[in-house]
Amino acid sequence: MNSGTARWQRNVFIASFIIPTLVFFVVFTIYPVLQGLYYSFYDWSGMSNKKKFIGFDNFKEMFHDPIIWRAIGNDYFLVAGKVIGIMVIATFFAVALTRFGFKLAGFFRSIFFIPNVISVVVIGVLWNFIYNPQIGFLNAFLSLFTKEQVTITWLGFTEHTIWMLLPPAIWAGIGFYMILLIAAIQNVPASYYEAASIEGASQWKQFRNITMPLVWEQIKVSILNIMMTTLNGSFVIVWIMTEGGPDNSTQVMGSYLYQMAFRQYHFGYGASIGFVILVLSLITTIILQRLMRHEAVEMS
Amino acid sequence: MNAGLKNPVVKAIFYAFLIVWGISVIYPLLWTLLDALKNNEQFFRNKPWSLPEFPLLWSNFSYVWSKYNFGTYFVNSMIVTVGSTGLGLLLSATTSYVLARYKFRGSNSLYLLYISSMMIPFVLALIPLFFLMNSMHLINTKIGLIVVYASSVLAFGIFVLVGFFRALPKELEEASIVDGASYYGTFFRVMLPLSQPGLITIAIVNVLNIWNEYIVGTILVNDPTQYTLPVEIGVMQAEMQYRTEWGPLFAALLVTIVPVLLVYIFFQRQIANGITAGAVK
Amino acid sequence: MKSNKKFTVLGIAAIVAALSLAGCGSKNNNASPSASPSESPSASTPAATESASAPASESTDNTVKLKGDFEIQYFVGGYGDKWWKKVIADFKAANPELNVKESGGPKINDQMKPRWIGGTPPDFVYIDGAGLNDRQMVEDGQLEDLTDWLKDAKNIDGDLITDILAQPAQQFDGKVYNIPLVLNSWGVFWNKALFKEKGWTEPTDFQSFLDVSDKIKASGMTPFIHTGKYPYYINGSILYPAIVSANNNDFTILQDMAANKVEAYESPAVLAALNKIVTLRDKGFIDKASIQINHTDSQMLFLQNKDAFIPNGLWLPNEMSKDIPQGFDFGFIPSVTQDAGGKVVANTSTATVAIAKNAKNKDAAKAFMQFIFSKAQASQWAELSGAPSNIKGDISSSNAPNFVKDAAKYLTDPNTVVIPTITYNADVDKAMMDATDALTISKITPEEWVKRVTDVVKKVGK
Repeated sequence: MNSGTARWQRNVFIASFIIPTLVFFVVFTIYPVLQGLYYSFYDWSGMSNKKKFIGFDNFKEMFHDPIIWRAIGNDYFLVAGKVIGIMVIATFFAVALTRFGFKLAGFFRSIFFIPNVISVVVIGVLWNFIYNPQIGFLNAFLSLFTKEQVTITWLGFTEHTIWMLLPPAIWAGIGFYMILLIAAIQNVPASYYEAASIEGASQWKQFRNITMPLVWEQIKVSILNIMMTTLNGSFVIVWIMTEGGPDNSTQVMGSYLYQMAFRQYHFGYGASIGFVILVLSLITTIILQRLMRHEAVEMS
Repeated sequence: MNAGLKNPVVKAIFYAFLIVWGISVIYPLLWTLLDALKNNEQFFRNKPWSLPEFPLLWSNFSYVWSKYNFGTYFVNSMIVTVGSTGLGLLLSATTSYVLARYKFRGSNSLYLLYISSMMIPFVLALIPLFFLMNSMHLINTKIGLIVVYASSVLAFGIFVLVGFFRALPKELEEASIVDGASYYGTFFRVMLPLSQPGLITIAIVNVLNIWNEYIVGTILVNDPTQYTLPVEIGVMQAEMQYRTEWGPLFAALLVTIVPVLLVYIFFQRQIANGITAGAVK
Repeated sequence: MKSNKKFTVLGIAAIVAALSLAGCGSKNNNASPSASPSESPSASTPAATESASAPASESTDNTVKLKGDFEIQYFVGGYGDKWWKKVIADFKAANPELNVKESGGPKINDQMKPRWIGGTPPDFVYIDGAGLNDRQMVEDGQLEDLTDWLKDAKNIDGDLITDILAQPAQQFDGKVYNIPLVLNSWGVFWNKALFKEKGWTEPTDFQSFLDVSDKIKASGMTPFIHTGKYPYYINGSILYPAIVSANNNDFTILQDMAANKVEAYESPAVLAALNKIVTLRDKGFIDKASIQINHTDSQMLFLQNKDAFIPNGLWLPNEMSKDIPQGFDFGFIPSVTQDAGGKVVANTSTATVAIAKNAKNKDAAKAFMQFIFSKAQASQWAELSGAPSNIKGDISSSNAPNFVKDAAKYLTDPNTVVIPTITYNADVDKAMMDATDALTISKITPEEWVKRVTDVVKKVGK
């Protein structure tokens, strides 16, 4: 066996593991997506069998579209709110259920994951009932403490209605990230904690000095994942709960893309919004990675 | 061995928080069940949390069940979910292993390609996807859904698994190679079993996502005999807009939730075991 | 015009005349046959229709039997699909050599969309529900120009189709592409029984509407709820009639708006109409819950007497039939925004049928049109399709619901301005809906409404 055959074998192995996946991926994901993005250079209704090439006009138009700017703002609001909300609560649960010796830890772990099992459609419908001003749970609950019947329109404020979409999004997101973090914490060698305990380090100190640095990689991955799934996936819950309304106050890029491409017959414009989502996701990923790499160094 | 919390007050507060969250997660399910047994009028007369009145309207369930042919959709969903999850796992595990362990020209950009594809709003691909599948005669087929779903979960699988393989100690493979195992033998007999926790995690996440997916399903399937469960639910919800039937709507929601909930309850031991066994030291 | 006479005879039939009007004095399942002379029994046997198709053949059709494949796309919404199933079965029986394929369902518009883009659409399409817009389909060149065909197309009974239409087909640049199959009117509903009990006066014009709303509000009830999540309800029932009233009852202003003429939007009539909504808002008549709720939720609140008035379409009583409380008695007026003594304005809405430009079997599609725009199918529609059937059926009987009598009275009254169906550009329509929502929650002023909408109109008009 000479080195030539060895290299040949190695290359065959690599190719056989890389190429089928890549072919599959290119055909069923990359190609349709590129095709979709390609329409961003066209004026196309999405229904017609004719389309007109217009270069960058869709992108130029975006600068004069106030709704797209609001949608971008709402998106980043959701990203920030979800990252903070989910990471704080999920980390807390993960630590509480692994390090604090609660008897029912296993039980809590199981049920906390339940919202992740349920389809977003169902979650949206459920939360709409919670927020319903007349027969909803929230107003009925608040009315227990007031003389007058509470009739707050939770999804109908003139501004900041987007805030109301944060609780369902956080509620639905906790379980998965909690499970990821629990796995990471359990990977931390028990001896580290034992040594710390012997030295008399408090739970908080153990968390700061052992848990955080050692699961940081997992937290980083979680934050990036929340960011990406929010930028291109938050539209489902928005669409089910508010359809972007009232008066576009809860519009996010994804829902606006859907509205434009499939409701207002501007598929080309919708595609260009898709392009923007992609570019913003990439930029945000790079920025977040820079920021978090810095911190990781500091931590360890 | 956990030391646990020493301060009982802090412990009580933490416990309280866990319990409150637990209720917030369980209660909607319970609420769904209770509301599924009410008629419209009770929604208005009574508080949202009041119990349904007698007689309980179990008929809401039979109404939903008999009107919509759930048996077929259940089987379709099973086939599509299992098929695409399996295919997706195989394709992502093989590539992840090579990307994690072997350097070759373009390996880094390939990894980035997969990862960055997670940022693409997939809704854009819907219409081109239809034409592609149409030209391949895969419209209204389970195979069509399986390949599209399998492809759509690749990026996430690679994202997680590359990290997993990288974390595995190199000595294991080296030992395996020294023992005379081929590259394939090393992968399938040594590395794959070791990455089981990661594989299980991804499988579960993918099963849940695919099971609940309905946008792609709606576009690629319009033959009722090929509907998956979520496509049917989507159709049902569209119909529900034209009737005010809150009781049946909640019954339908519950019917949607129960299968996945069972899958989760059934497999959650594996998830927990898988993840804890992940401590490869 | 013979159809107009029948209009008068039949009264309400006009309003809902599912398809053609001509004497579809049809009935509800329990109602006795209508007194209308042209009443045709719903028992349209295939044999009867087949023989009836003979006279129609002379004009446009030929006697050649229809062959090949023929595909029908129909959206299933509030009217259900019973009628479609039946009419397709009848058509199949009449044309045994034709292979009829039906693609129907509540999501069919989304599911068929790729076929329209790909140039292989179904032959015949029922345009209703989200995802299909007739104006857009015309602009995209998806629909067959029916102008010439319709001029002398006769149905299978030998009647000229244009003669039996209650509302004529909408024209796009003077051409006809789709024919209205379902006719409805927007308007405002209330509970007559409640008004009687409380001694409230039923509104006849804007002032009386405001006066009674004051009383209602003083009694602790909210006067007005609308469907804020889908603001086309308030636009269709309040805003557009108000614009027409303020424009000396001339509805061409709405047609100019639909044609994207900026001046139409800048007309003082639009501002006057918007200010009426502002009046309702500032007097606190509009239920705060409106902004976030959908049609079914708002309708439920109305039926529970939580709110006194609701803007809606005539399908409302049927859509909610299961939830109407004992003793609830619908009152209806097409518009409440006219001055005292002014004409009532009825804004109609239709769902239409059309033939695809790329249809493979246009002969069959045209024959199907002639088949469905007939008396027999009209009365079947009434029986099987839900909302309209109830209304139509019940007029023939003496105990017709009050709102049906009211609606009939208004629509047949020569003093009523009947607005034909108008489809706005999708962008402009969305902008108007958003702006009206914003107006109802005091986010913008009427001037800002006009500014916002005209900006979009200018962009669309290029």
